[in-house]
Amino acid sequence: MSLGLETLTPCFQGIVPAMFFTCAKDGTPNAAFLSHVDYVDPTHVALSFQFFNKSRRNIAENPHALVRVIDPDTHQGYALRVKYLRSETSGPLFDRMFLRIEAIASYSGLKGIFKLKAADIYEVESVELVPEQTGVTERWSPRSRARQENPVFTMKALQEMSSRINTADSLDGLLESILSGLKEHFGFSHSMILLAGEKPNTLVTIASRGYPQGGAGAEVEFGDGIIGVVAEAQKPIRISGLLRGMLHARAVAMRAIESGWSPDRQVPLPGLENPESQLGVPLVVRGELIGVLCIESETPYRFHEDDKTTIEMLGSHLAVAVQNMQLRETEDAMQTPRAEPAAAPPAPGRNGSRREVTYYRGEEVLMIDGEYLIRSLPARILWKLLTTKKKDGRCEFTNRELRLDKSLNLPDYKDNLETRLLLLRRRLEEKGPDIRMVPKGRGRFALELGCEIELVEKA
Amino acid sequence: MLDQTLTEFLEQGLAIHIGTRDARLRPNGCVVTAIRVEDQGRHLVAFIPKAVTPAVFDDLRSNGQAALSFTRPSDDKAVQVKGEFVSLDDASEADEQFARTQWDGFLKQLDLIGLPGKATNTWTLWPSVAVRIKVTALFSQTPGPDAGAVLR
Repeated sequence: MSLGLETLTPCFQGIVPAMFFTCAKDGTPNAAFLSHVDYVDPTHVALSFQFFNKSRRNIAENPHALVRVIDPDTHQGYALRVKYLRSETSGPLFDRMFLRIEAIASYSGLKGIFKLKAADIYEVESVELVPEQTGVTERWSPRSRARQENPVFTMKALQEMSSRINTADSLDGLLESILSGLKEHFGFSHSMILLAGEKPNTLVTIASRGYPQGGAGAEVEFGDGIIGVVAEAQKPIRISGLLRGMLHARAVAMRAIESGWSPDRQVPLPGLENPESQLGVPLVVRGELIGVLCIESETPYRFHEDDKTTIEMLGSHLAVAVQNMQLRETEDAMQTPRAEPAAAPPAPGRNGSRREVTYYRGEEVLMIDGEYLIRSLPARILWKLLTTKKKDGRCEFTNRELRLDKSLNLPDYKDNLETRLLLLRRRLEEKGPDIRMVPKGRGRFALELGCEIELVEKA
Repeated sequence: MLDQTLTEFLEQGLAIHIGTRDARLRPNGCVVTAIRVEDQGRHLVAFIPKAVTPAVFDDLRSNGQAALSFTRPSDDKAVQVKGEFVSLDDASEADEQFARTQWDGFLKQLDLIGLPGKATNTWTLWPSVAVRIKVTALFSQTPGPDAGAVLR
């Protein structure tokens, strides 16, 4: 007879903490909150084992326990009578639980302290309704009702997204299509795409939607936060009840600091100040990580278990689309003839406005009026464009000539020039709108200035 | 045993659960809506909904072993109190008022972390019984490497 455990997956999202009741061999009971309970199959659950605490010691002596969970949709409580079977330290289940905890730990600077030691597997012997925690019937739950009336990952939405992507004719247009499609067809208002950065094992934010500051150019190292963990593992991560997880991690941090432990660098949350749900999807093509799509929501249980397959499918599709567009833009750019030295139109110089662009050659950093703009290859490129314009008066350039310019020191293999140019354009839109890189057909663009520019080079 | 600081912490309105066990060492447990510290911290009274599983009351009457878990939702600071069952009575009207006030404090804590307190409106928390427990041991239960350390 079915226990009905498969219908309780909302209880295992970490939104409402679970209680764990155990008993020592000498008959002393114990009650404690659980970090995480995961659904395994219709007759098993997995509990996160992070610390050798009293509950864990009790289980070693007496495998019988009681787990109480609450459905975040209906608020109905359930009592699961369970029996400890074994601990897993590898495999898909362990990886799933490990990545979730790793992402939360990374946010809190707790890597190494707040980590999963094992996924403890328990056989569920019975499931009973908790009599004092009576909930509303599911169809009346606001969240369930909204979900039934407005499902998220539908085939129709995927088809529309696919059509939109297929009409994009540039990497810029493609990324915009993806983010606007996520909003219009899936209802996700806050999302960002990060592509492989110039430095190894880094990602750089190339496009975002729904944030006051675009954040183009923001870097994430592999292993940092949900995005970095997704990149490192090349597996999607879906976190609900993130705020709960963070609070739990911070409590651990406080205890650890009191014990003399000093925290790592605190990695600020990207995007929303208080995201409740996050979804990180690796964009992988034939084992190569192209980037990461991150979607956030202030709703605690925005991404459901049954959406997982569709999310993975969406990630694969986006990854292929982005890579194809990158390759196409590179090929097109190499066939573009060198730009004729067109005379630059006079800078409008709005009311005599003037900007100082400083290039720090040693650090390869460009600043506009003392404010950081960009570094590394995009900085070298912009400096090259600005100095060429000043020296020769040219305003049109091609990707091809940049690619062939030895002074820019592009890598021989997979230079991702088009992605770097897009990043540079985005940064200028955010931080220096008087300097514009305007596309003029495939592999060609014009540098347009809306003010007088003073160029300063420093060591 | 429970000093003033600890008493104030425990009575502020927290997530409270009581754990018990039967003769075969099978655990049982349920929600506690509020507690009151008495007798200079040597005893506490736990207010438990009458609607809870009868197994908890059966366990308390038969072997008397109890573990009470207290957690403050806003920062996960937590304490565990071990104790022995003394008595069980219907909660008086004044007791209920006391317990409801404390429960409201807990609901405010839930709101602080984005869990709407009104979600518990459908729960059957009243009427309740007053379970008197003798405090025998105290432990820190805040998550982390030192969870389980003895308090004083």
